[in-house]
Amino acid sequence: MDQHLHDVNQMPYLAKAITRILVIDDDANVARAIQAILARHQCDTVIASRAHAGIHAFQASQFDLVMVDLFMPGMNGLDTITRIRSESVVPIIAMSGFRLRNSLDADKDFLGMAKLRGATTLLRKPFSPPQLVAAIDRGLGLLPSAGESIQ
Amino acid sequence: MKRSENRAGHPNYPKHMGAGGQQAEDIEIGRPSPERTRAANEVGSAIAHQLNGPLTALRLYIGEIRQNGGSFRESAEAQSHMQQMVEAAFQETERVCAMMRVIADSFEGPLYPETAAALGRDVISWWSRCGGTESGQANARGPAEAACLALLTPREREVLGHVSQGCSNKQGAARMQIGPRTFESHRARLMRKLGARNGADLVRIALGEAR
Repeated sequence: MDQHLHDVNQMPYLAKAITRILVIDDDANVARAIQAILARHQCDTVIASRAHAGIHAFQASQFDLVMVDLFMPGMNGLDTITRIRSESVVPIIAMSGFRLRNSLDADKDFLGMAKLRGATTLLRKPFSPPQLVAAIDRGLGLLPSAGESIQ
Repeated sequence: MKRSENRAGHPNYPKHMGAGGQQAEDIEIGRPSPERTRAANEVGSAIAHQLNGPLTALRLYIGEIRQNGGSFRESAEAQSHMQQMVEAAFQETERVCAMMRVIADSFEGPLYPETAAALGRDVISWWSRCGGTESGQANARGPAEAACLALLTPREREVLGHVSQGCSNKQGAARMQIGPRTFESHRARLMRKLGARNGADLVRIALGEAR
């Protein structure tokens, strides 16, 4: 993955520091796509396809931002957020393919739950490259937070 | 919500979408039962969950290709990046297609092939009534309705026009200068294709499609 990292053409004249991002998603293809896009934005992306592996990776290294899929087998995304938040103030982007509020079940407000557990911002799947980059900038505090920050 | 009836009583209704095939529940007209709603949510979420991964990856790759397509010739590195994006987008497209086949295979085939699109529309509108997205509803219906309309023969479309103007079988037949029985058989086929339960339903669908 290191060959993606240094793109001379995209390097701004005032070189930005490399942003280290941890992506926790059980769909490895999604994580790889995120990695490929972010490689062009001076981001070093580490992929974990299970919640536990992600937490291990998080503890073993330093990250500027963590992206977590809310729905994963085993330990779910919400628990992962809780766990990471208990150890760190790192910005966390919660990703979800589902509508974040369930009209039938008021308890299933994933947006509220994720925020309550400590997610910084939320990103609804499927998202576009600009949405991805904007969510990360927002997470890093480079852009003002735009409410729910979905779509 | 315009189409408020539960079409579960319709013979072409996809039975596998229901919860445990409770007969009494099928007869009941009105709001879908909690079981049915839950079953719809389960099936819908499972499908959505399956497709979301490849679609997310695909959207990222295609977005990148669209944005940076011009940099193809700039440098060997940019070119190699774009080639990777194109290849990955192709792989993800294949993945969506494979999933779609699995999803389609796990549902029973339609009883009448020509009603498949109509059923698709039915499921979508039913799904939105069951608490599917409020905002996505209008968009979700459009293409399916268009697909339904595309299924009709010119003759059937003509019949649909007369029916939506409130013509009886006799009046419609007279206008088209055909026998009432012929008109009726066109009308019956129309109803089957559009998944209409009765005449009123057919008119409502016709008016919806005329929009």
